[in-house]
Amino acid sequence: MSLQRKVLLAAIGWLSTVTLLHLWLNTSAFEKQTVTSANPGERFRVGFLPVTCHLTCPVTHFINKSMSGDGTFEPMRFNGWPELKEAFLSHHLQASFILAPMAMALREQGVPIKIVYLGHRDGTTMMVHKDSDIHRIEDLRGKKIAVPNRFSNQRLIIFRAFKERGLSMNDVTLLEMPPPDMPATLKVRAVDAIISGEPFMAQSEMDGYGRVLFLTKDVWPEFISCVLAVHDDVIRDHRAEVQRLVNGIARSGKWLDKTMEHRMQAATFAGKNNYNQDPKLLEFVLSKPPDRVKYTNLSVRRKDFEEIEVVGRDAGILQGTARFEDYADPSFVTDDNGLQPYLWEATP
Amino acid sequence: MKPIVPDDVEPSSSESSARFSYSAIELPSLVATAFLLVWDIAVRFSGSDLFPKPIEVLWGLVELARKGLLVKYVVASLFRVTWGFTLAVVVGIPFGLLLGSNRLAQTAFNPLIQGFRPISPIAWIPVAILWFGVSDAAPVFLIFLASVFPITVSTAAAVKSVQSVYLRAADNFGLTRMQLFRRVIFPASLPQIITGLRIGLGIAWLVVVAAEMIAVNSGLGYLIIDARNAGKRYDLVVAGMVLIGVIGWVLDVLMRQIERFPSVKWAYGTTHD
Repeated sequence: MSLQRKVLLAAIGWLSTVTLLHLWLNTSAFEKQTVTSANPGERFRVGFLPVTCHLTCPVTHFINKSMSGDGTFEPMRFNGWPELKEAFLSHHLQASFILAPMAMALREQGVPIKIVYLGHRDGTTMMVHKDSDIHRIEDLRGKKIAVPNRFSNQRLIIFRAFKERGLSMNDVTLLEMPPPDMPATLKVRAVDAIISGEPFMAQSEMDGYGRVLFLTKDVWPEFISCVLAVHDDVIRDHRAEVQRLVNGIARSGKWLDKTMEHRMQAATFAGKNNYNQDPKLLEFVLSKPPDRVKYTNLSVRRKDFEEIEVVGRDAGILQGTARFEDYADPSFVTDDNGLQPYLWEATP
Repeated sequence: MKPIVPDDVEPSSSESSARFSYSAIELPSLVATAFLLVWDIAVRFSGSDLFPKPIEVLWGLVELARKGLLVKYVVASLFRVTWGFTLAVVVGIPFGLLLGSNRLAQTAFNPLIQGFRPISPIAWIPVAILWFGVSDAAPVFLIFLASVFPITVSTAAAVKSVQSVYLRAADNFGLTRMQLFRRVIFPASLPQIITGLRIGLGIAWLVVVAAEMIAVNSGLGYLIIDARNAGKRYDLVVAGMVLIGVIGWVLDVLMRQIERFPSVKWAYGTTHD
């Protein structure tokens, strides 16, 4: 047999084998497709990250699936903000959990999206090393702080807290860093403080080298970090689906905040199925203290966003060219008390 | 040139193979063991509970195997690299042959290729997502991009380095242009093309981590990124690195088998003399 023939046969054999194995092991290509009447055609895809700010996304899906066998939408887990944003912008996701100032900035840049609901309230912590001499926000002067993203509200909270205390952003050095890398950076004291959504901050606290400098509830009560944003055309053409999604997020948020037992159940199934994180870490974040992150009162309120607008303009990330009417659609949940929590308990 | 032997007496074939097996297996094993020991001691000495010891990485691998993820992730990465690399071969070799044999084509395309070549696949991630979404096509595209340029450039260089004596001889035999290509240029440049393919495959495997940063939910690159998200699971990060290293090595060994065919081997014999 000639060289060409041998190589060609080997290549075709390898290509076929590895393709079939991949389709079998990693995709649902060989599974029986069950398309229900309630779920015709393509699923509604919602992007999220493995952070507690987005916990209602997998919780809603899990509860829906457990109750009716149909998740109504497909949660798609990403590993970083840039990839999540790009998949959303290119319409591969119909909706996504996204940083609030980022959603507002995108609208200013002409991207037709609307904030329809919040992901959570509070849920951000600033950590310092346990042996650090930083005990008050004023002690951060001259220090190095890691923030997740220029468009994150975590950066804005520093800006706001500094302004209230007569400090300026020139008094500190900010470093943009993926939140998963922050605990290790704090441990080796490459930075003086780290701030991001949970559970990454709690990791350093659980491991004993991190100390809480502040929780957002103590500095910016009812703090918003992430919101649920949807494309304008999706709202126009699929309003019922968006309403179902928002209702699900609202009801699962209330379910999470109803009892501590629910939170522990969510830590177990989301940690295992969606986040691939130690459930003990999620349990820690969701219980120490219980109001570290909240999932109720998530309707879109003008005054919250106008405050972000002001701080965002001062911080130089927003231009002020898009107003509340442009980037928000609060019509999906006008009354926070109108929806009831899911009546569902996880089976042990 | 006469080979240099350490003793006056040339070793018998069985002696030389015994000496060979000693150096090919035992010596690298010794070095690898020493490396693992130094690694273990360094971690213990530093007192770090973040960076894993070798045994913890091993347990991480066992955990992945128990969960059934080891095979899944290896297959997923091999699938993406195989398709990306195959597409790069299908595009890169014919394109390289064209560039190497046609001055006009080379003049036209060379600046574009040289401009695209240094762009890291990481820089292409946004484009890949915008064009291909979050399916397997996006990482395959990134792997294709990483390996197509080395393959194209080395193929073109291989064609250009075919000795003119072969071309003149072919001309004397009155070969048509197609015959010249199939019977002279391609076989003569094949050894160098194979070297280019080895480099291309190495780069394809190298970028698997970057390519799987996109929202795929399987693969060795995904394993590393997912482990970073999972809190203090640096044992799994290093386990992913170990798997990528070992599989990359095996792929290179397999690729080198092609060099043993007589129609390729001839070039190495003359080159190394």
